[in-house]
Amino acid sequence: MLKETNVVEIQVNINGADVAEAAPVRMHAADFLRRKCGLTGVHIGCEHGVCGMCTILVDGEAVKSCLMLAVQLDDCAVRTVESLEEDGGLNALQKAFREHHGLQCGFCTPGFLMLATHLKDSGRRYTLAQLREEMSGVMCRCTGYEGPLRAVAQYLGDQMIAEA
Amino acid sequence: MSDHVRNESGQADAAQAPVADQDARRHIGHAVPRMEDLRLLRGDGRYVDDDQPSRMLEMAVARCPFPHARIVSIDVSEALQLPGVRHILRPEDVARDAKPLTVLRPVPGAPALPYYALAQGRALHEGQPVVSVAASTRAIAEDAIELIHIEYEPLPCITDTARAIEPGAPVLHPDVLASNFLAENVDQAGQAHQKLQEADIVLRQRFRLNRVTPLPMETRGILASWRSGARMLTVRMSTQTPHLVRKQLAEILGIEESCIEVSASDVGGGFGMKLGVYPEDVLAALHAMATRQPVKWIEDRLEHFRAATHGRESLHDYQIGATKDGRIVSMVDDYVTDLGGWNSSFGSSQLSSVTFTGPYKVRDAYVRRRVAITNKTPIGAYRGYGQPEVNFAREVLMDRLARKLGIDPLELRRRNMLRPQDLPWTTPSGAVYDSGDYPLSLDMAARAIGYEAHRAEAGGMRADGRLAGIGFSAFVERTGYASARFLMKRGSQFGAHESLVLRANRSGFIDIYTGVSSIGQSAETAMAQVCADVLGVDMDIVRVHSGDTASSPLNTGAFASRTMIAAAGAIQEAGAALRGKILRIAAHALECAAQELMLDGRMVRHRGEPGRGMPLSQVFNRAIVGQGIPADESPGLEAVAHYEPPEAAFAFGTAAAKVLVDPATGEFHIENFVLVHDCGTVINPMLVEGQVRGALMQGFGAALGEELLYDEQTGQMLNGTMMDYFAPTAADAPPVTLLHTEIPSPATPFGVRGVGEVGTIAPAAALTNAVCDALAGFGIELSALPITPEAVWRAMHPAGPE
Repeated sequence: MLKETNVVEIQVNINGADVAEAAPVRMHAADFLRRKCGLTGVHIGCEHGVCGMCTILVDGEAVKSCLMLAVQLDDCAVRTVESLEEDGGLNALQKAFREHHGLQCGFCTPGFLMLATHLKDSGRRYTLAQLREEMSGVMCRCTGYEGPLRAVAQYLGDQMIAEA
Repeated sequence: MSDHVRNESGQADAAQAPVADQDARRHIGHAVPRMEDLRLLRGDGRYVDDDQPSRMLEMAVARCPFPHARIVSIDVSEALQLPGVRHILRPEDVARDAKPLTVLRPVPGAPALPYYALAQGRALHEGQPVVSVAASTRAIAEDAIELIHIEYEPLPCITDTARAIEPGAPVLHPDVLASNFLAENVDQAGQAHQKLQEADIVLRQRFRLNRVTPLPMETRGILASWRSGARMLTVRMSTQTPHLVRKQLAEILGIEESCIEVSASDVGGGFGMKLGVYPEDVLAALHAMATRQPVKWIEDRLEHFRAATHGRESLHDYQIGATKDGRIVSMVDDYVTDLGGWNSSFGSSQLSSVTFTGPYKVRDAYVRRRVAITNKTPIGAYRGYGQPEVNFAREVLMDRLARKLGIDPLELRRRNMLRPQDLPWTTPSGAVYDSGDYPLSLDMAARAIGYEAHRAEAGGMRADGRLAGIGFSAFVERTGYASARFLMKRGSQFGAHESLVLRANRSGFIDIYTGVSSIGQSAETAMAQVCADVLGVDMDIVRVHSGDTASSPLNTGAFASRTMIAAAGAIQEAGAALRGKILRIAAHALECAAQELMLDGRMVRHRGEPGRGMPLSQVFNRAIVGQGIPADESPGLEAVAHYEPPEAAFAFGTAAAKVLVDPATGEFHIENFVLVHDCGTVINPMLVEGQVRGALMQGFGAALGEELLYDEQTGQMLNGTMMDYFAPTAADAPPVTLLHTEIPSPATPFGVRGVGEVGTIAPAAALTNAVCDALAGFGIELSALPITPEAVWRAMHPAGPE
């Protein structure tokens, strides 16, 4: 049986700051970020890689942090929802979510925001149908998806939304 | 994205507005951005799992893996030896230290079932808790579960509702019941059965409603701490009803409510599933009391599928009798709701009985509800709670009647619908529809979906061979509760009112304290909007503190689409009291009459002399320190109000779906879905749209794909993970057109009707009717949900594959 005492020291850059922290080898990355680093904006919804609540950026890629072990974060750069605000206020993506009522209970919101951050950073163009497919990686039971879709489409802007 | 929202008719009469000044609706009716968003968008919400006090223990639960089993023996000795394990609860500990779980909304006439937090001798559903462990981490608690040896003797199980109620079926609660029926309730008016016999035509069908899970993105969770010397149990919980949880914990743990504080701040979705106390809540409290350490339990998703309440499952035997020219003479619904193994806090749905005749003018009608026990997870409230179920049965049967009579389904509905002048209308089950224009919603839906053009192109076949069909579904929805008198008759343990406190503070701001928790419904924003207009102040000086029993007056909670229906009245009453006192104190300071003053933004101003006035902060300070106030005025500046609306408000509307069906495969595509609805006066159109779209998606999910499946032989749940249970994703969302009418309800302050659940009701019948319309040439009928391509194909090929 794997023990809690079986830990590995890892070095992670989290939201721009270098962190050295002991991680139990069986702990997943989402638990690590929440419990060891206090980043409670990383939410946990299913722990089997479907719902997308725990979506974060690892070296620029959007990943479901419940499907990664904490030790796999060693030497990686991680971004979570806590890094998004600008000048103490909402950034353009967060503002778009507020404007388009892209959230209700707010539990899925960090997942959508990190996924959308990744889509923007990718520089790719998406049709609206492709955007829907991309956003299927995060589930939401409140909004019916219209609000999040409108918000992300606005954030990506005309240059990134291709005609179908 | 062709979607849009349009307001077609009827505006709230501003002159009637019970607000401070003539043009005071600066916030009500406007798409004000949400107050909740600022924290939630930054990952700064505070869900129950976000708190991690020092010395905290975590709980894990050993659950029965069988749908029905005798517990032969339990050996926890090895688990107790595991380093980090602090405390283990066995069934006998729970029987000694706690009472069975209580019920908040009992089934009328039902006996109490001995539902203990841990199974006593016998478990009645897969996932029922048997033993629980508190350890230094969740991982160690789960390790300990692996070391607990529980010997089970599997017993014959019944997971099929129809089988459970057959004569001779093994009785699952033999100590309490003689059969698997928990209770039976009848509502009726006139001579329903006799009218059926006299009718020119009678249609009868059994409709099967699928068992689904509400599936909020945040699972359940609780953090309980006990200070023995202080006799204080502090609970943080993901719940819609903190005050009702406090009441139940007091009953179950045998301590006074004075010893319990419950708070829920951010709740990651509820949908009716987070009402009242579950077994795990009792277990966490018992562990905390035994160890005097904080104990947290966060439900994992696999537990959620098996232990959080499910919804909807029922069988409706619906009959409609009509004349040859399509006048309905009688409606009869004889239905069975599946309760699962135990009576959860909110038991089984009762609203099917309240709204079973829908928007139709029927005087002779009969409804019988029977509640059946099976070896499945307990059923609880789920958004719409009985109304989507009965709407599916009635509206699908309406279309079938139309086909049999050769009358257009739109015309059949129109002929039978209640007209505005028929309202208020007392239904055969005693509900009072307050006001509305039902035929208008029908006509608007028909126009928006392009019904006339569709009828003109007979056959409706597309170039690719797909067949087009249009289906309608008309509905009414009860929102709020029809008074405490109604609730008392049914034994409900809560009121129809809402209570809150408005309290001024020294910064010149106003705090609202409410026991309604923040579950995504945007009550903080809506309450602040109403408060700002009632007082005549800026909205950003109002802050809503929600879901804490220690700071809010005893209330009912966030469910039944009732919050604004009742809370708006409470804000109005408390606001009027606060406003009067503010003006009197300001008048004293400014040496004028209170009538000469008004509240404006963050100031009290003189109506006639623009330069004369004082900031609210100064008025509030005078009141709070009791200095510089009139001699006959008491110090302090707060008001509490308890408001009960005289009646429930009935929302209503019509949905229309247009589908394209591939007759070769049964595959279908939703080309457009129109929902016309009326929620009375709109407080915030953006929030209304969000509520309706979200509920619609849950309606689509339950209609088209979601279903919890059980193995026929073993009774095991077959798809209890998110990989196997298909809730809709962004890619599954069909195009939706929302239209609304805005006819104020006379039953509520400001004329609001509830809006939280309305979207769940209509989709299933509209989609089913559309598929049947498209396949009219094949003469198929669909009577069970979900409507999958396979179900459509099977209906077209009753003999199976060739």
